[in-house]
Amino acid sequence: MKQKKGLDKVTIAFIAPAFIFFTLFIIVPTISSVYYSFTSWDGISPNVKFIGLANYKEIFTSARFGNALKNTVILTVFISICENVMALVLALIVDNVRWGKNAFRSAFYLPVLVSGIVSGFIWKIMYNYNFGTFNTILKNIGLEDARQDWLGNTSLTLIMIGLVLIWKGAGYYMIIYLASLQSVSTDLLEAAQIDGATAIQRFRHITIPMISGAFTINFTLSLINGLKVFDQINVMTDGGPGFTSETLVYLLYKVGFNEGRQGFGTAVGIMLLFIIIILNTLQQKFLRSREVQM
Amino acid sequence: MKKKLVSGMMAVAMMTTLLSGCGNSKTDSTGDAPAADTSAQKTESQPAAEAPAANESTAEADAADAIVTEPTELTFIFADGDDGAKQSMNTIVDKFNDTYENITVTIEPGNGGAYSEFIKTKDSVGEFPDVMEMRDTAVYVRAGKLAPLPDDIVSLFKTTTAFDGVTYTAPLAGENTNGIIYNKTYFDEKGFEEPKTYDEFLTLCQGIQDAGDMSPLVVGGQDIWHMGFWFYKAYNDQVLSQDEDFIKHCYEGTKTFTDDSIKNTFTELQDILQYAQDGWVSTPDAQITTFLVNDMAAMMYSGTHMFSQIEQADPDFEMGWFAVPSPDGKTRLVGGGGASGLAISAEAAQDPNKKAAAEAFIKFFYAPENYCVYCQTLSAIPSTVAEPQLDVSSVFQEVIDATASADKLSPMWNTMTGDNELPPDFRNFTYKTLIEVLQGTRDIDSACEELVKTWNVGMESFNPVTGVGIE
Repeated sequence: MKQKKGLDKVTIAFIAPAFIFFTLFIIVPTISSVYYSFTSWDGISPNVKFIGLANYKEIFTSARFGNALKNTVILTVFISICENVMALVLALIVDNVRWGKNAFRSAFYLPVLVSGIVSGFIWKIMYNYNFGTFNTILKNIGLEDARQDWLGNTSLTLIMIGLVLIWKGAGYYMIIYLASLQSVSTDLLEAAQIDGATAIQRFRHITIPMISGAFTINFTLSLINGLKVFDQINVMTDGGPGFTSETLVYLLYKVGFNEGRQGFGTAVGIMLLFIIIILNTLQQKFLRSREVQM
Repeated sequence: MKKKLVSGMMAVAMMTTLLSGCGNSKTDSTGDAPAADTSAQKTESQPAAEAPAANESTAEADAADAIVTEPTELTFIFADGDDGAKQSMNTIVDKFNDTYENITVTIEPGNGGAYSEFIKTKDSVGEFPDVMEMRDTAVYVRAGKLAPLPDDIVSLFKTTTAFDGVTYTAPLAGENTNGIIYNKTYFDEKGFEEPKTYDEFLTLCQGIQDAGDMSPLVVGGQDIWHMGFWFYKAYNDQVLSQDEDFIKHCYEGTKTFTDDSIKNTFTELQDILQYAQDGWVSTPDAQITTFLVNDMAAMMYSGTHMFSQIEQADPDFEMGWFAVPSPDGKTRLVGGGGASGLAISAEAAQDPNKKAAAEAFIKFFYAPENYCVYCQTLSAIPSTVAEPQLDVSSVFQEVIDATASADKLSPMWNTMTGDNELPPDFRNFTYKTLIEVLQGTRDIDSACEELVKTWNVGMESFNPVTGVGIE
């Protein structure tokens, strides 16, 4: 029987809605944003002036971009590592507890369900210097001198935002680790135990290689999420104090939408796209090489 | 039905109370009332003009009726989102309609929540009102939609905003005047007095700090617009005192943000804000009242909108108010009329009857015995030279008196228009840079350099002097 070449009408009818939607709202804006990154467009005016590489030149000479890039890298690395360590610990706890497994799982997952804006507000209140939870506790236990302006101290701000992100995100990655942990063959673990391997040795040489797929997924997701953090920064610090917690995404938003420099903002977005592609490719290459095929 | 009756009675009672609070009675409007005897001074930004006799309503009514050759109807739109605005506008319009037989002002409901969009929509469907509360003045002036106000209306106000020397709006209220609101009980207890000079102010801050009971100042630095209150105080002292058109000169390229006056602005703010409470950078504006009423700070620098918040937070709190003097001994305040206010449409002004009626309405609105209804209801600082008598708290009266006797009244730098209009969001960038300076993460020279860089970039897409970005 001769196989029909090309697409028939029914296939096209099924594909068309998604194709049109995707093309109009993803492909076209993405391609046009490349063009706008070479302009001084303010985002409103019908006049779009082509300025060549001026926006990119400014990016490479701008201290503000450099600061945002540095903050983005620090925050992304910090939360990618801490979030995954925390998620793995939580997954191991849930996997190994004898009672209340579901309760633990639900409790650890709960922060994931809280919106970024709401979690930002909650933590902002807790971090408050004068009336916040942390400083109140420190004061009540006699450690008044240890009180900090958690979001106002420029050397602490990023860490404090990072902790909120870890609190909110770890539960999600925990579920992925948990699913992976539960698929580790008990035969292998029992065999190793019979051979005299300690719990740490079994975890290092059997469990970790067996869940390396989950590592790849989780690190990829946390890397991408780290690079596009917005809600918490917007609510908790507005990129401040000063520009202390401004990340690339936040810079893009500020210059593009607040300062009426859509052209420059788009150029920042294009740079961010390249950074994500490069980092993700490197990360995939590293993590894939460590995966164990079943 | 019952509810409607009760609410109706309450509205009547409310308006009766408000009207009784206004000092002038019906007889006042005949000309016997205290005329413009308030010693209001003209500010530097507006040439001095004699305050017109306050109560000339009857004479004006006769004159306007004489000008109007046939019964004339005016449409009037204002932002009616606020109940107070709605009540006071209705009262004044009803009174006007009763006074002027041949002129009828018809209020068309506005949309207070999205007023700018509402006016734009009215314009686009050909229903642009004859008289309106105008907020986006620059936009409509550039579009040729507004008629210039005659000198006899302009001279009614302490300050107005002109576009190329022409005024289009009669400011509804003075700009929100900032000053120090302080804990009067604490001051009396400790023997602290209101400072008369800038040095005395710094000495006062140091004295409170030395006493160790509370922070001298509470600052809501987390909301960067709050930083604008302080920034503008110092900017006014250091920059505008030297050059009122500093921004314009920056557009022209004859001045830059590395100017010594800008550096002095940062220095003045460093001197003052060293007395702010611990954690001021992460304190939101919404919390500063709590600091004041709970004896955690002795003073705050903010606008008159805080009075009601403080009263609500602690009805027993005794507050005082003073203006912070400038280092050169003058008193420069945010105040006077801004760019928004009542305006007459250019189209209406082409009809002599409508023009005369509209001008009569605006004069009537700002006559002290009528204008007091508006100011009283909205706790607004009068923008007129002839000040209406208001039944307000003593602290609010102090603000009104201060605006009348200030050496200089001006709107905030980010609400200035024309050649001194700022590029979009430059204000926020400046405040953020200021926070960096105050936190010591950036020195003043470097901050000025950053401002210049950002200014230059902003100027490429917005420059009212060359017209770029104005179309």
